[in-house]
Amino acid sequence: MRFRAKIVDLACLNHFSRVINTIAKLAKTCTLRLTVCKLYFILSDKVANGGASMWCELCQGNFFDEFQMEGVAAEHNEIYLELVPENLSRALKTAQSAKAVKIKLTNKHCPCLRVAVELPSLSSSSRIVTHDIPVGVIPRRIWNDFREPSVPDFDVSIYLPVLKTMRSVVERMKNLSNVIVIEANLSGEMNLKIETDLVSVTTHFKDLGNPPWASEDGCQSSSEGRDVESMAEARIDIKKLQQLLAGQQVNPTKALCNIVSKRIVHFILLHEDVSLQYFIPALA
Amino acid sequence: LAVFGRAIHAIARISDEFWFDPVEKGLALRSVNSSRSAYAYVFFSSMFFQHYCWTAVSEPCQKEKQLSLPCKLIIKSVLPVFRCANVLEKNVEKCSISTNPSEQHMTFQLLCKHGVVKTYNLTFQECDPLQAVFAKHMCPNILKVHSRLLAEVMVHFPTSQEEITLSVSPTKVCFKSYTEEDTDFSRTMITEIHLSPEEFDYFQVGVDSEVTFCLKELRGLLVFSEATSVPVSIHFDRCGKPIAFSIEDMVLESSFILVTLCEAEKEVVSQELHSPHQWHRNPQRDGNAPSTDSAKPASPLAKQQVKSIPRVGERDATGGAGGEATEAPSQVRRLPILSGTREGQRLTPKFCTTWVLTSVNICIFQFHSLFFGAVSYKEQDAMAHTLQSLATASDTEEDLGPTQSSQV
Repeated sequence: MRFRAKIVDLACLNHFSRVINTIAKLAKTCTLRLTVCKLYFILSDKVANGGASMWCELCQGNFFDEFQMEGVAAEHNEIYLELVPENLSRALKTAQSAKAVKIKLTNKHCPCLRVAVELPSLSSSSRIVTHDIPVGVIPRRIWNDFREPSVPDFDVSIYLPVLKTMRSVVERMKNLSNVIVIEANLSGEMNLKIETDLVSVTTHFKDLGNPPWASEDGCQSSSEGRDVESMAEARIDIKKLQQLLAGQQVNPTKALCNIVSKRIVHFILLHEDVSLQYFIPALA
Repeated sequence: LAVFGRAIHAIARISDEFWFDPVEKGLALRSVNSSRSAYAYVFFSSMFFQHYCWTAVSEPCQKEKQLSLPCKLIIKSVLPVFRCANVLEKNVEKCSISTNPSEQHMTFQLLCKHGVVKTYNLTFQECDPLQAVFAKHMCPNILKVHSRLLAEVMVHFPTSQEEITLSVSPTKVCFKSYTEEDTDFSRTMITEIHLSPEEFDYFQVGVDSEVTFCLKELRGLLVFSEATSVPVSIHFDRCGKPIAFSIEDMVLESSFILVTLCEAEKEVVSQELHSPHQWHRNPQRDGNAPSTDSAKPASPLAKQQVKSIPRVGERDATGGAGGEATEAPSQVRRLPILSGTREGQRLTPKFCTTWVLTSVNICIFQFHSLFFGAVSYKEQDAMAHTLQSLATASDTEEDLGPTQSSQV
């Protein structure tokens, strides 16, 4: 099992750092899946995460100048690692002016991702900063736990409002309540509601637009034939929503969410070369 | 003014209180942390101030001796005065500090823009001087570097990182996170930074060494030195011997002396051997024996050491000495202090610092003087000749001779 990769371009490095920062905000520990052409950051919906799950996919070619990977075995040419994304985020934080960043899988005292940052310095030789980030190797027999989640059978799918606005609204609401109700309909209207004993606050968004989903086999999905005005709603943990929004440092190309009434909310955030899906289950 | 404020902040990182010691040449601020493992000293010469006036006050019981006015202040009360160094620059036009010995308080007055005057009256305690003795010129390894570089290095380490190991050889310099045998590598992220000697303004490595010291206490000095933009000199030796970070320019100088971790097997014994006549002689010390820093769990290594050197928690040391306050003046106790007061499950570092508690009858409060580094015979002589304003010999049995007059 070997892995080594190198980033030389500063823009790619910044972009990669930003992705890692977003992941770090969403999960304390997550799984990194390495394949020949892609990297995946996966959080599976265990109870420990509060039932939330995440699937983030990047094309390695868009970030790395060099990328070599050898999986556990020839027919399973993949590596699954468990790591703390915050560590990786920290290692990259001070690499903003680096000449090059190399990441390598090593096994000195224990399996580690060694991030070596070459920084420019006043003298002829550069400064080298290495960070050894401990990782856990996930055995093949439990790889099945980390399969790509399927898009749920949603009631309403709607584009999200401008994330910055949504984030500031949710942050204010977080101070008042732990639970937020997110509801939307097929007319492009979305409401964010909180309700406590003393106060209830609702923010209305209009004209958001509903993304067209082509149904795979022509059969009716639950959203067709649905009254355009009726709202599908779900009560979710406000902290999770706030974490998702806070982690977005750049406006995505496309941001939408799918609501399965009273069950789950599925957020999809698409950038040019990164896609992030985040599932927040509804509370009882 | 911002520089002064930064100095206070830097000292604040060491301890909650500091010694405020005006002398003829200038103002000295000193502080030592509770486990006696870090000592900070900042000296502002009178030229630093626009107006500096100092008069000696003589104690009634000592007519022939003119003592300066050393006193102790609680940092927490002084910090708000200099809270925002940046704001200070903009708003405050003048700051005046004055004391009146008849009143038990010191007045800090900030004259700000628009005619606003903020006056702070802070009480202080009179106490006896605090000095550390450290022979910088005896250190084989000296590095001099601009504070910017050090700050750039330290930024790679997490703010929670407590200890850092500096390892040098003639061809390379490396700062890395401190790890020990029982570090859980599967949970700890380890960072290492390699620099080439060329990056230093002055690079002298007499002996390859690897010293581990506390980063937290140093950060204060780093911020302070950035404010002054004076290069930082690092003097150190092998592990176990203290490391000094100092800055010096025309109007001020400052030193932060930190103990370094020593490998239990190697250095501990050698530290002791240096001054056999001082050690293990005092019966009282055993009586004061190991009540460990009670709240902190003793580390396995520290336990091993208990056999060879009795360990005394710092609270005991001061408490014990306090009990002797009324005894004969020249009674000297030497206590090796081994346990640092690190929180949590970290291995309690074994700081081989020797220091002396003397109870002197003259003064009300305790007299603490600190000897850092190997207290060897050779060094005793050297100390008598040390020139640095930092290294002033203090009242001890050995030095009652020629150097006593340089005291105070």
